[in-house]
Amino acid sequence: MEQTVTIQCTGVEMIFKKKQALRNVTFSTNSGSIVGLLGPNGAGKSTLMRILTGILEPTGGFVEVLGRKPGVETLAQLSFLPDRGQLPNWLTADQWLGYASGIYPDWDIALEREWVRKLEVDRTMGIGTMSRGQEARLQLLTCLSRRTKIVILDEPFTGVDLLSRERISSAIAEETAGGDRTFLIATHDIREMESMFDRIILIGDGTIKGVYDTEELRDEGHSVESCYREVFA
Amino acid sequence: MPPDMIWRIDEFQIDPSRPLYEQFVEQIRAMIAKGQLAPGTRLPSVRETASSLRVNPTTIMKTYQELERLSLLVTYRGQGTFVTNEESAITRSRRELARSAVARLEELAQSIGLTLEQFIALAQEEE
Repeated sequence: MEQTVTIQCTGVEMIFKKKQALRNVTFSTNSGSIVGLLGPNGAGKSTLMRILTGILEPTGGFVEVLGRKPGVETLAQLSFLPDRGQLPNWLTADQWLGYASGIYPDWDIALEREWVRKLEVDRTMGIGTMSRGQEARLQLLTCLSRRTKIVILDEPFTGVDLLSRERISSAIAEETAGGDRTFLIATHDIREMESMFDRIILIGDGTIKGVYDTEELRDEGHSVESCYREVFA
Repeated sequence: MPPDMIWRIDEFQIDPSRPLYEQFVEQIRAMIAKGQLAPGTRLPSVRETASSLRVNPTTIMKTYQELERLSLLVTYRGQGTFVTNEESAITRSRRELARSAVARLEELAQSIGLTLEQFIALAQEEE
């Protein structure tokens, strides 16, 4: 399958008041791939993701998402799972999905049914009574039920139990196999995810410390984990 | 049509510091060589495999392509990917596995100044 560039960042800068949050951030992602955004807390991962969604405008550099500047049009082609995001806890899963299917024009009811089954989401359950793992699965389900080309996940595994993590990883691998979705995933869960990434972007202190294709790294005898250690130790 | 089998993650031993595709090729090749995967077995699709093993789908696609290049797998459009029914392809693969193992053994023998035959004789000698 032909790969196209889905996200392109060139020399992206972000300054909040006097603090430089991102400096000269340059990388790209291809369609049909899973890209890991890895780095310690406070490295600038969430800031970068918010720039890609168009929520924040960078103070310098160029960003293109599906060939356009992030904004209302690109937001419609992108689903985003924010860090510590919360779904309305007074609704049941079923009520939430009914609401979500109404607000997203690209909602696909067949995809919704498929992922409800595969991610084992109980539609009758109140969101307020869900465990972290159950809520994380419902959040991912919300991202996957839209026909978006780009899925951005900020720490999808934080506080999520092992079996839910495995189901989430399986769903991501399966969705990427279609060939036209790009996943950009910020995570600390390197062991769970390392055989899933095509490419890793290492980010620390607001700047890119390295971009590697994982099979090339392994060809040189490095694992994703050992590379991470070398860069950040 | 469902596949005849499903991959399980514990069937593979994966070293995270070697190319994953190479390891899947080696291990599936060995399963075919020893008959653990019988000729004609229908394998799960790339999508199903990526999901059950939680591995990048491109890796699985490359693995299947390489095994097809080695004539160990055959893909029929719309039907799926199967272990070959050609005994000769499997025999050839077994022979290649044996040859490369013997070549490694031969190198080891030479490193202590022996021929392969002397090396084996030495190993089998009674104390």
